[in-house]
Amino acid sequence: MNQPLSVSTLGAQAVDVDIRSVDLSYGTNHVLKGIDLHIRPGEFFAFLGPSGCGKTTLLRLIAGFNRADGGEVLVGGREVSHLPPWKRDVGMVFQSYALWPHMSVKRNVAFGLEERKVPRAEIERRVAAALELVGLSHLADRRPSQLSGGQQQRVAVARTIAIEPKVLLLDEPLSNLDAKMRVQVRRELRDLQQRLGLTTIFVTHDQEEANTICDRIAVMNDGAVQQVGSPMELYEKPANLFVASFLGTANIVPGRVIEEGGARLFEIDAGVRLPIPDHVTVPEGAKLVFRPQHASLGADGVRDVSLPGTVLHSEFLGSTVRYGVKVGSAEVSIDVPFQSGEAIHKPGAAVEVGLSLNSAVWLAS
Amino acid sequence: MADATTAGRAHAPSGPFRHFMTSATPGQLALALAITVFLALFLIIPVGTVIYVAFTEKGTGTFTLVNFVDFARTDLFIRSFWNSVYVSAMSVVLASIFALPLAYITTRFDFRGAMLIQTLGFLPLIMPPFVGAVAMLLLFGRNGTVNLLLNDWFGFRIPFMEGLNGVIFVQAVHYFPFILINLSAALRNIDRAMEEAAQNLGCSGFRLFRRIVFPLAMPGYIAGASLVFVKVFDDLATPLLLNVKDMLAPQAYLRVTSIGIADPMGYVISVVLIVMSILAMWVSARAMRGKDYATVQRGGGGLAKRQMRPWESVAAYAAVFLILLLVLAPHIGLLLLSFATIWSFSPLPDGFTLAHYGRVFGESFVYVKNTLIYASLAGLIDVVLGTAIAYLVLRTKLIGRQWLDWAATAALAIPGVVLGIGYLRTFYGVQLPDGTPLATLWIVIVLALAIRRLPYALRACYAALQQISVSLEEAAENLGATKVRTVRRIVLPLMAGGILAGFVTSFATAAVELSATLMLVQSNADAPLAYGLYVFMQSAAGRGPGAALGVIAVLLVALCTFASHLIIEKSQKAKGAGH
Amino acid sequence: MPRHYAAAAALIGAALFTGVAFAQTGKVTVVTSFSKDVTDPFKQAFEKANPGVTLDVQNRNTNAGVKYLEETKANNQVDLFWASAPDAFEVLKGKGLLEAYKPKAEGIPDKIGSYPINDPDGFYSGFAASGYGIMWNERYAKANELPEPKDWQDLAKAVYFDHVAMAAPSRSGTTHLTIETILQGEGWEKGWRTLKEVSGNFRQITERSFGVPEAVNSGQVGFGIVIDFFAFSSQASGFPVKFVYPTVTTIVPANVAVVANAPNKAGAQAFVDYLISPGGQEVLLEPSIRRLPVNPAVYDKAPADYPNPFKDPSLGARVKFDVEVSEKRSNVVDVLYDQTVTFQLDALKAATKAIHDAEAALSEKDNAEARALVSEARDLVAAMPITAEQAASPEVTGAFTGGKEKGARQAELEQQWSAFAKERYAQAQAKAEEALKRAR
Repeated sequence: MNQPLSVSTLGAQAVDVDIRSVDLSYGTNHVLKGIDLHIRPGEFFAFLGPSGCGKTTLLRLIAGFNRADGGEVLVGGREVSHLPPWKRDVGMVFQSYALWPHMSVKRNVAFGLEERKVPRAEIERRVAAALELVGLSHLADRRPSQLSGGQQQRVAVARTIAIEPKVLLLDEPLSNLDAKMRVQVRRELRDLQQRLGLTTIFVTHDQEEANTICDRIAVMNDGAVQQVGSPMELYEKPANLFVASFLGTANIVPGRVIEEGGARLFEIDAGVRLPIPDHVTVPEGAKLVFRPQHASLGADGVRDVSLPGTVLHSEFLGSTVRYGVKVGSAEVSIDVPFQSGEAIHKPGAAVEVGLSLNSAVWLAS
Repeated sequence: MADATTAGRAHAPSGPFRHFMTSATPGQLALALAITVFLALFLIIPVGTVIYVAFTEKGTGTFTLVNFVDFARTDLFIRSFWNSVYVSAMSVVLASIFALPLAYITTRFDFRGAMLIQTLGFLPLIMPPFVGAVAMLLLFGRNGTVNLLLNDWFGFRIPFMEGLNGVIFVQAVHYFPFILINLSAALRNIDRAMEEAAQNLGCSGFRLFRRIVFPLAMPGYIAGASLVFVKVFDDLATPLLLNVKDMLAPQAYLRVTSIGIADPMGYVISVVLIVMSILAMWVSARAMRGKDYATVQRGGGGLAKRQMRPWESVAAYAAVFLILLLVLAPHIGLLLLSFATIWSFSPLPDGFTLAHYGRVFGESFVYVKNTLIYASLAGLIDVVLGTAIAYLVLRTKLIGRQWLDWAATAALAIPGVVLGIGYLRTFYGVQLPDGTPLATLWIVIVLALAIRRLPYALRACYAALQQISVSLEEAAENLGATKVRTVRRIVLPLMAGGILAGFVTSFATAAVELSATLMLVQSNADAPLAYGLYVFMQSAAGRGPGAALGVIAVLLVALCTFASHLIIEKSQKAKGAGH
Repeated sequence: MPRHYAAAAALIGAALFTGVAFAQTGKVTVVTSFSKDVTDPFKQAFEKANPGVTLDVQNRNTNAGVKYLEETKANNQVDLFWASAPDAFEVLKGKGLLEAYKPKAEGIPDKIGSYPINDPDGFYSGFAASGYGIMWNERYAKANELPEPKDWQDLAKAVYFDHVAMAAPSRSGTTHLTIETILQGEGWEKGWRTLKEVSGNFRQITERSFGVPEAVNSGQVGFGIVIDFFAFSSQASGFPVKFVYPTVTTIVPANVAVVANAPNKAGAQAFVDYLISPGGQEVLLEPSIRRLPVNPAVYDKAPADYPNPFKDPSLGARVKFDVEVSEKRSNVVDVLYDQTVTFQLDALKAATKAIHDAEAALSEKDNAEARALVSEARDLVAAMPITAEQAASPEVTGAFTGGKEKGARQAELEQQWSAFAKERYAQAQAKAEEALKRAR
């Protein structure tokens, strides 16, 4: 399925996207606050965040559908902030797909090429190639209203890549699909992107999507970039409480730092305390943050520290059992791998909570 | 007039009777019957009594089609036919040219004064008869304001009002509101994402409009355009006042109202008018079938309006101003005329006075009262019937429901004078217990007004109902609401905008109708504004007062229109339905 | 609904007071084509002279009024029909919708000008008369440097091309009478020639009488062939217009008639009597009405320069007018005019313009051949598809009246006549253009 036009040529042209100090307000609503991002050539990059965080606004800014109050956007080193959308050469797939109902699939896909005054024969070839790439050649003459949601989305993608844009922008492309389709389509998107080597920016509110297919993620909240990094970095070393809790489950335990005998201790409650490693700085008012799988119950595995706790409830998740455990006045989740035949701790059981200090972080906010 | 879009009602189609019975509730059947009786009684029979002459041989009364053969063989009629087609088509084109910039600017951009434009843009529809044309001639005629000035300064004249061009110009200005309203609605319904996707792929400006926006707006536009085509085709008042006689509708009028000559051709032409009108509507319905692009939004992608850059803003305001000036010129002329002492062969009146208003002041109360009553009742009857017919056509599978639609629409083609005569013929013989003929009651005037305006309301209600997904009603029924309650609690509130539009159109045009009124008015006490105006316009001294009455009529209707807009807006907001 | 009570009261009143000229009560309903300027003074005067009686005026144009009476005859609620030209009255009389009544007035002659005042069968009575003439807009004439016309024939001159208007005789009974007068005065052939020559200068042919003075008042058209009171009322309203009676003018009457089965017959008759009475006749002298009374004695009360058809022979008396001839061919003349002039106006004008241009060229440089061509062109324009005898024949007239004669159908005749005219005008235009070439 390798198409000569798509693979090497596009990959060789992959560009970076540079967003510098971008500010945008709608009236008194400050939607984007000093955004600084650099997306590397050929990268599959995600803007991830809850509704209203500004991720779609930022994407549309790159496409040219709104204008920043301050800052610049560069695509491939070229400033594009002053260019109207039709001159930017970035391809966007809309959340609603925006297929034109009065045109057939073929005409929809050909549109951008017609605008670029590509010769007819060439248009035919590239349309066929694009449709082949997304596996919809057999539906070329249908109307969008005759297609399923997944097929429509593929047509939207084909329409965009047919013009061989420098950057591919995807606005929540999977949100209108059912769960099974989502998994399939996101894999296909990833495949496609890798084959074409296109710099791609992907907007989503679903961290699972972002985690599974993206190279790097920018987590956004309230108009600002919270943290940028690979999925694993963000997961292991969240920069703040927001990132920690947005990506995966996190236990957030309040407490206070006390000194005892020259050593620092983090006291969760009377008698419930753990030592703070020397290299770690604990900001004022910070909370202890750790993942459920980085703790254990009972004498399993090697842990650095042990705290007393009481089991509150348990959830059987197949490969793991998730316990809700009271440690001091805090409640934490602990995931324990399930070995068949092993008994499950009952609510009220007293347990030893083991914690690995390597994977614990203290975050103030 | 497309087929009902209710999908999924799979009944076993075993024989028409069973199908008929299982697909309609008794209530719907009763409704259909009631409407049929109403249309038969107040439209088909009266008109029939008048135009059957077209099918009979003069003198013997036997059935024949020879009159239609004569029609086809007469130069004058064939010429008139093609003139009418030409004028109607060009009027649509010109009206669209006026309406397009306004519609596009107010719907796709963040434009202050959009509400004002929509209100002002509606005014040309409210043009009182006779005096409106006089005002137009005084401004645009061969020796009107514009041409006198042009001739003085530059030595040439522009034949705005000559011949067929004059008719096209006046009609385009008069019916431009229909196109504006329809185009605005169609443009408003286009998802912004459609435009953005095209822009993203490199398309902009006029190409964007031509390839994406216009095709998507087309179906909604065609609905309005076909209505205008038919209305212009059937309009006799404007051509006559501009002394253009070689068009079908004025020919029909001249022959029908000639006395002493028993001429069937007037009625033959009326039949041709009716057939053409139905044909035009049918063709447009077919053309639109399957292309109803009421785009369904799949989440996100709002209808946010674009901002305009400063120079775009200036250009937009200028364009809007010029167009509004042009289409409101008749009203400006009317206003001037109402204050004018003498206005003769000069760009502006010789002097101004309030005397005309003084003269009509006392009399106008009764006219205003009557006009309000007649027009409101007519509007109400129209929206009730329009909603009912739209509901039957779109939501049931009753056999022959299309005919209700077509019969109601055919009312457009009936010249007012024919309907008036028909009513006299049909109802004058009917007497109330005390001997008063039924036709002398003012309710007959209301019915004549309502019937001729029913097509407007019907189209508006139809369009509104089409936008509502059946699933909304099904959800209500699922939760226990009967069909009647569903209609009342779900369908009607959602249709409110369309119903209002239909009411306003009926009301506004009924308030200035004259042709049927002239036949049916019995006394001054029953007369509406248009009649009072007509009487004044029969004498030289009456031009000023006639214009004053005309201004009063326009103001009255404009105020009522504005008020009803406000009321509906408030109730929509109260319900939280922000559109 | 107070209306039927009033009608009942009127009936009772009429029953009680039948035969008594005054002391009527109740309502008298009149359908009229006259404007408020005319009806208001009469209404006031009549009601003053007959306390307790109300005159209910229903304004309709003449054609609509006739149709209305036709349609409502089963239960007639109208007492009087009050309009200008006799053609409407003839139609109503023919359909049996009028009731004969001889007004109780004295001193009314039989004729005014050469026109009989009353219907010989007594179904309708003339109460006023008016003359036809030419009205023009001074500003327009000045701006276009056009001379003041004096006679009908003046309007055929080249200088007036595209500046004149008239109502269609088929739509205006009074205009019809004017046309008929010309036809009777000059004879069929010559009369039509005159008509065509004048009509070739028309800018508009209106479909209602008032359309002409309206156009002249506004300055849309310079010159109009109108009935005199239109011009006078325009002048009274301040419009810059002037009026002249041509040397041979038509006097056209205005009439009133009692409708058959009138609800208030006595009241209707009282009104007719009033109109003809000296008191009523004097109302005609008011400036806003300005009609010519049919009672010669009333002219003593008029201002000195008031036209007096009983004394001034130029006002209508010179023309021999045969009412029977007129009535017989009335429909035919209307249709002939419409088919050869009204609906062919563009073609006629084109031919006329070509002829004017050719004659202008010839006046500078004469040329015998060209002159002959122009003469032929004029003959072509003036040609008529039927003769006077044919116009009065039953075969032709029957086509328009729904008679049972199996002659040609109306549509066939119309098509024949219009094709005839169109062809002739085209030929005339060609010849005139040829003449122009030669004259240059």
